[in-house]
Amino acid sequence: MPEPRRFVYNLVDLLTNNSTMSAITAEAPAETSHQHHDDHQEVGFVKKYLWTYDHKMIALQYLWTALAFLFIGGALAMGVRWQLGFPGVPIPFIGNLLPSTVAVDGSIIPGGYNMLVTMHATVMVFFVVMPLLIGTFGNYLIPLQIGAGDMAFPLLNEVSYWLYVLSGFILLAAFFVPGGAPGTGWTGYAPLSSVAAYNGTPIGQSLWGVALFVNGLSSIAGATNYITTVVNMRAPGMSMFRMPLPVWSLFITAILLLTAVPVLSAAAAMLFADLNFGTSFFSPAGGGQPLLWQHLFWFFGHPEVYIMILPAMGLTSEILATFSRKPIFGYKAMVYAMIAIGFLGYIVWGHHMFVSGMNLTLSAAFSVSTMIIAVPSAIKTFNWMGTVWRGSIEFTTPMCFALAFVSMFVIGGLSGIFMASTPVDLFVHHTYFIVAHFHYVLFGGSIFSIYGAIYFWFPKMFGKMLNETLGKVHFFATLIFFNLTFFPMHNLGLGGMMRRIADPTVYDHLRQLQPLNVLCTIGAIGLGFSTFLFIWNVVISLRNGKKAPENPWLSNTLEWTIPSPPGHGNFPKTPTVYHGPYEYSVPGIEKDYLPQNEPAPDSARLESH
Amino acid sequence: MSSAALTHDSHDHPSAPPAVAKFGMIMFLISEGMLFAGLLGGYFVLRWAEVGFPWQAGHAWPRGEGVPLLPVFLTSINTVFLLASSFTFHFAEVAVAKRKSGLTWLFVTILLGSLFVGIQCYEWWHLHHEGLWFNTGGVYGSSFFLITGFHGLHVAIGVLLILWCFLRQLFTKCFTPEHHPALANVALYWHFVDVVWLFVLTLLYYV
Repeated sequence: MPEPRRFVYNLVDLLTNNSTMSAITAEAPAETSHQHHDDHQEVGFVKKYLWTYDHKMIALQYLWTALAFLFIGGALAMGVRWQLGFPGVPIPFIGNLLPSTVAVDGSIIPGGYNMLVTMHATVMVFFVVMPLLIGTFGNYLIPLQIGAGDMAFPLLNEVSYWLYVLSGFILLAAFFVPGGAPGTGWTGYAPLSSVAAYNGTPIGQSLWGVALFVNGLSSIAGATNYITTVVNMRAPGMSMFRMPLPVWSLFITAILLLTAVPVLSAAAAMLFADLNFGTSFFSPAGGGQPLLWQHLFWFFGHPEVYIMILPAMGLTSEILATFSRKPIFGYKAMVYAMIAIGFLGYIVWGHHMFVSGMNLTLSAAFSVSTMIIAVPSAIKTFNWMGTVWRGSIEFTTPMCFALAFVSMFVIGGLSGIFMASTPVDLFVHHTYFIVAHFHYVLFGGSIFSIYGAIYFWFPKMFGKMLNETLGKVHFFATLIFFNLTFFPMHNLGLGGMMRRIADPTVYDHLRQLQPLNVLCTIGAIGLGFSTFLFIWNVVISLRNGKKAPENPWLSNTLEWTIPSPPGHGNFPKTPTVYHGPYEYSVPGIEKDYLPQNEPAPDSARLESH
Repeated sequence: MSSAALTHDSHDHPSAPPAVAKFGMIMFLISEGMLFAGLLGGYFVLRWAEVGFPWQAGHAWPRGEGVPLLPVFLTSINTVFLLASSFTFHFAEVAVAKRKSGLTWLFVTILLGSLFVGIQCYEWWHLHHEGLWFNTGGVYGSSFFLITGFHGLHVAIGVLLILWCFLRQLFTKCFTPEHHPALANVALYWHFVDVVWLFVLTLLYYV
């Protein structure tokens, strides 16, 4: 099999000196150097858990921190749902503990409701979904799946994690400053966000801007690292088109992060200056324009949508192929579809602004470009179905989550087409229909895939299997309560319920819909409690779980060829890759999988080259 | 491919091979470019909406009487210093490649960079004295101070990085013709900051 030569390899060969070249051919020195690693593994608590350069530990740092934020964001959502289901009723147990900017006598006040919504969304987007998908699985899987020993810049990697933690503290501090947390929504539209007299929370809003800026630095550091690692540090034989789909998706995501996030940083800097230095970027009095914020925010915000779904797609693809025991249907089409989604993501931001009074010709153009995204999305969906079709499906917990991801993503995708069409969007844009739509994509999509991926890679991460029965209970509870929470929101939205209202019962036309709101709230409480099943599963599996073998799912990618959890430096010797990652049930081979570092016998008919 | 990068123990060798480090620096600079594109793009759109393009009739920027004008001549001189510093940095690299220390050229670069920052500070002080500040002069003042502030911060960080290179070379002589990744990456950053300045200069001062 010809080994594809790549420009970058040649470049690196040219520019590095011969001593590193020789290491690739002579494998004995590499092995001795691994022994040497093991001797040095005894490091202190701080060096092991807090300031580590090991990408696997950094991934786990992200995992635990983001799960903590998941509970904070979830608690904020509970507050939101409680107020919408039972407006004005004091929150049981904890109502009196809340700061006076949020609740008085245990009942949420309207301004406090806005703070809960804003902080819920900001926490979930920047501190839960992104760190879990990109921070955790990006860090864990990229080096392992491409056969590298670590990230290209381990120090930068750790700095990126601590910047994320710092930005989290800055954001949460907003609850405790005079005026309280920002209440302008995660989109922070100007002039509400940029004029202290309008929002009443200039300090909280400024902290929000600073938090997003610092979080942006963390994202940029991470993205720089991921792109560099994927391009430069793949094991011999691991050509771009032999990379597993999670790596592809994270690579494209990193490119989106690198180019979209700094624009949000620029906007946040302008917002901060407007609030604190009296500049007039978003103030018409000084020649500024509130609409500029929307353009800058959504220029970042729409790629951000794909930043949060592309890695989920990649992780899901891996799980679907493994448990269908079949190759991914149309591997290259999957890659090209992701590239297309990434590119199109940059030219559709206007569809968030149809109701801003923009030029109708322009909104028609944005409408068309948005609908074009349905094409690559449909390619991916049909390819997932093609992958599962007539496979020997094993309904493990990760597989259940992956299948649910596809289903929920399709519902969220279909409701998205409504919003892509300007005339329809004008009616549903400010309603709960949109809330239903993006929760189907973000929770039903991203979070389901994150759960699936945690069940799938937990054995590799911790060397223990998660409990399968508890996993199934967790899955069905999540699926049922998720739909109970968010499906009725379609009806609420089409029934006319506006977004960002603290008390639906004050509107005549919404009073008849209140039972649906109560249903959503009951679903949300169930969804909240179902998360404890997951945590319980994690805790008991870490303590008494079945010991995980090297390759519990009989999967093909490189991380399953080394012990669970992998040692420092990952690979005892640099692996050589002989074919693509999805060679399941290959005709001519006895076992139904073929790890990437195992050469295929001549009789085998491979999918990939 | 460098397999030192593949199996390296990151506690022992926390640095990537030079070509990889350079690639990473270029990625980071693309991101920085988007930051300035966001800032300059915002300014461009606001100004265009307010007064139109420079070649259109009735175009006047800044709008209104008595708004202090930017010191274009002084800044043009200052630009020469900054551009020259890119050349001197390059000469430092060439010197290192010829097995010399390059310390003199690095020192000159630090001087030129500091001079640029100093003159920019004077300019801020001067305009503040004349009555132009973040909160006066509308978009004109807001954009000028925020964008030159961001750029000035980048130049100042660049000067500190060059100073770091200078001190390392002075005390450890660590840059060899074969291996000087830190110097090469700081140079990339410095040239980038220089190029961004040309955009800032054109959009804020000249048109």
